[in-house]
Amino acid sequence: MPVDQLSATFAALADPTRRAILSRLLSGECSVTDLAEPFEMSMPAVSKHLRVLERAGLIARRREAQWRHCRVEAGPLKEVADWTERYRHIWEQRFDQLDQYLQQMKTKETKRHGRNKRKK
Amino acid sequence: MVVTNARNSDSFKVTTPSEQEIRLTRLFDAPRRLVFEAMTKCEHVKQWWGCLGEGYSVPVCEIDLRVGGRWRFVNRHPKGEVAFYGEYREITPPSRLVFTEIFEQFPDSVSVVTAVYSDENGKTRLTATVRYPSLQVRDMVLASGMARGAGISYDRLEELADGLQRS
Repeated sequence: MPVDQLSATFAALADPTRRAILSRLLSGECSVTDLAEPFEMSMPAVSKHLRVLERAGLIARRREAQWRHCRVEAGPLKEVADWTERYRHIWEQRFDQLDQYLQQMKTKETKRHGRNKRKK
Repeated sequence: MVVTNARNSDSFKVTTPSEQEIRLTRLFDAPRRLVFEAMTKCEHVKQWWGCLGEGYSVPVCEIDLRVGGRWRFVNRHPKGEVAFYGEYREITPPSRLVFTEIFEQFPDSVSVVTAVYSDENGKTRLTATVRYPSLQVRDMVLASGMARGAGISYDRLEELADGLQRS
C-alpha cells in the first residue's frame, strides 16, 4: 500500500464517529439507514463520514434496489492493524529482551562484587 | 499479543499523550544504573536489542555516547537487515537519555526518543516517549491509539481480513 494511502486510512480513523461506524460494520454488512440509526445524526452527516471512509478504502458501498449497503474493506484496516501491532510488538519484544538481559547483568555484577570494588 | 516468559511484561503500556507522541512504559527489575548502561553500551545492546533468536543477530552496533554523537544499530534477519540510526541529544545517567531515531528505510522521518528512568524501590520504570515529526506520522500514531480506544480488536481485524481475503 502506498504511504499516502496508509496516511489517508489513519486520518479517516482519527474520528470517533467513523470508528464507531467501522466497529458496527465489523459485525457485518448493513444498510446505510441502519448504520445511521444509533448516531443521532442527519443522513447527510452520516453520508459525509461514509464518503471519507470510502475514499480511505475502509468501506465499500453498493446499491441494491433503493437500499444502500456498506461493508468493511479489510485491506487497509489490516495495513493499519499490522503497522500498529508491529510497532507495539517490536517495543514489547525489545523491552522483554532487555528485562531478561538485565537479570544476567545483575548476576554478573553480584559475582564481580566479591572480587572487585564496585565501579563508579 | 506476544507470548513471553519475561518478568514484569504486564507492566508494559503504550499510550498517546499528545498528537505527536507515543509513550511506552515498562518496569524493569534492575537498578537505573544498569538499565541505562544496558541501553548505551554495545556489548549489552547486542544482547537484547532487535529481533533475536535463530537467524537473527545484531551484527552492527555503534555508539558514540556524547551529545551530538551518533549511534547505529543493525538487526540481521533471515531475509536481510534493518538498520536504525540517530544522534544523542541529552545524556544524563542514570535518569535521562534523549536521542533521535531514524529507520534507514524512511530517512525523512526523524523521531525523537526521550527515555526517562525512574527508581521504584530498586526497580526501574522506563518511560520512553517517542515524538514524531510529521502530520502523516502523527496521524498514524494518533489513529493507532484511538483505534485501540474504540475497542477495535486487532485479532478481530486479522480474522476478518483473513476471511475476506479467502472469500
